[in-house]
Amino acid sequence: MTLDDIARELELVELVPPNEVERAAEVTRGYASDLLSDVLAHAPAGGVLVTLQVHLNVIAVAGHADLAAVIFAGGRRPDDEVVAKAVDEGLALYGCEADTFEIAGRLYALGVKGSRA
Amino acid sequence: MKLCFADLHVHTALSPCADDEMTPPRIVERALAEGLAMIAVCDHNTTGNAAAVQMAAERATVEAAVERADAKAAAGRTAATGTPSGDGLTVIAGMEVTSVEECHVVGLFPDAAAAAAAGAEVTGLLPAAGEGYAEFFGEQHLLAADGTRCGAEPAALATATPLDVGAVVALVHRHGGLAVAAHVDRRSFGVVGQLGVFPAEAGFDAVEVSRHVTAGSPKLAEHAAFGLPLLRSSDSHTLDTLGSARTALRVAAPTFAELALALRGAEGRSVAVA
Repeated sequence: MTLDDIARELELVELVPPNEVERAAEVTRGYASDLLSDVLAHAPAGGVLVTLQVHLNVIAVAGHADLAAVIFAGGRRPDDEVVAKAVDEGLALYGCEADTFEIAGRLYALGVKGSRA
Repeated sequence: MKLCFADLHVHTALSPCADDEMTPPRIVERALAEGLAMIAVCDHNTTGNAAAVQMAAERATVEAAVERADAKAAAGRTAATGTPSGDGLTVIAGMEVTSVEECHVVGLFPDAAAAAAAGAEVTGLLPAAGEGYAEFFGEQHLLAADGTRCGAEPAALATATPLDVGAVVALVHRHGGLAVAAHVDRRSFGVVGQLGVFPAEAGFDAVEVSRHVTAGSPKLAEHAAFGLPLLRSSDSHTLDTLGSARTALRVAAPTFAELALALRGAEGRSVAVA
């Protein structure tokens, strides 16, 4: 599954498109958390993060954890400053109306597993 | 300049998670017994009991002065021993605001009126407590200066506001207050735990460490690296922990204005983890 496949299957709203490297990469791991210190410690590199947090620090943390993309659940949307930072960092961002549990379940059904699975 | 001690994060029985014994007179009594010159009343998302604690502190100061004068008159000679010093207790009206990211931000305000205005704004953002709320989260007692219960706060104080950290800091500043990142060493509700790294751009005036970080601890250097003055506060929800963590203030007098100067390190003033 590439990010484009996932976005299409789950009907995600693309806020920041993936760059060419990310676009070609297979996404096999995911993580769901709203505690960014926990994301920093446990999210799998190259994976997607599902979170409710739309704070600017999400971008810094996602960059640090080398994540491929962030999906904002529950209809939450980051402001322009956060989107601009993601563009600078080359981090793909998506939004969805589904809640965290729902979107994580759908990701799992597509074959995206947890960091320790 | 003189050295005095402050515990700048104390809850009253208005906070749903705080003990019912946290009444204005008992908080003041305990703070004086602990030798504190200053405390800050910081309930969750409200300033409803702050003025009552301020009033209780003023009463205690007057009563102590009367007692001393009486003792002096009765003895007719040397000053009586065993009565508290006449320095009294300064009570800063504060509030511990929960941001949308569930970070705790302590706001310390110049006076009760500024605190009340900020408090009204924050409490107004919360949903109503509703049926069964107190059973799960605890009672929210509005108290008078003598500790009498005068009502219950109807808003759900244990809920996060819709304001992000930067907006909470801005709100505190708009009301003339000082914004402190509460218990940054704690995993839950500290800005670092919630946000991964310290949000330097939020514009905090100081960083608070909990009683778990002691003076001389290597952890202190880590928190000092945020480039802001460090306070150490008890975050007490029960009487027995009040004063268990404190900040040493070097100030001309224990007042809000002096505290603000001390945070900036102005003219020989300072704050230090004690």
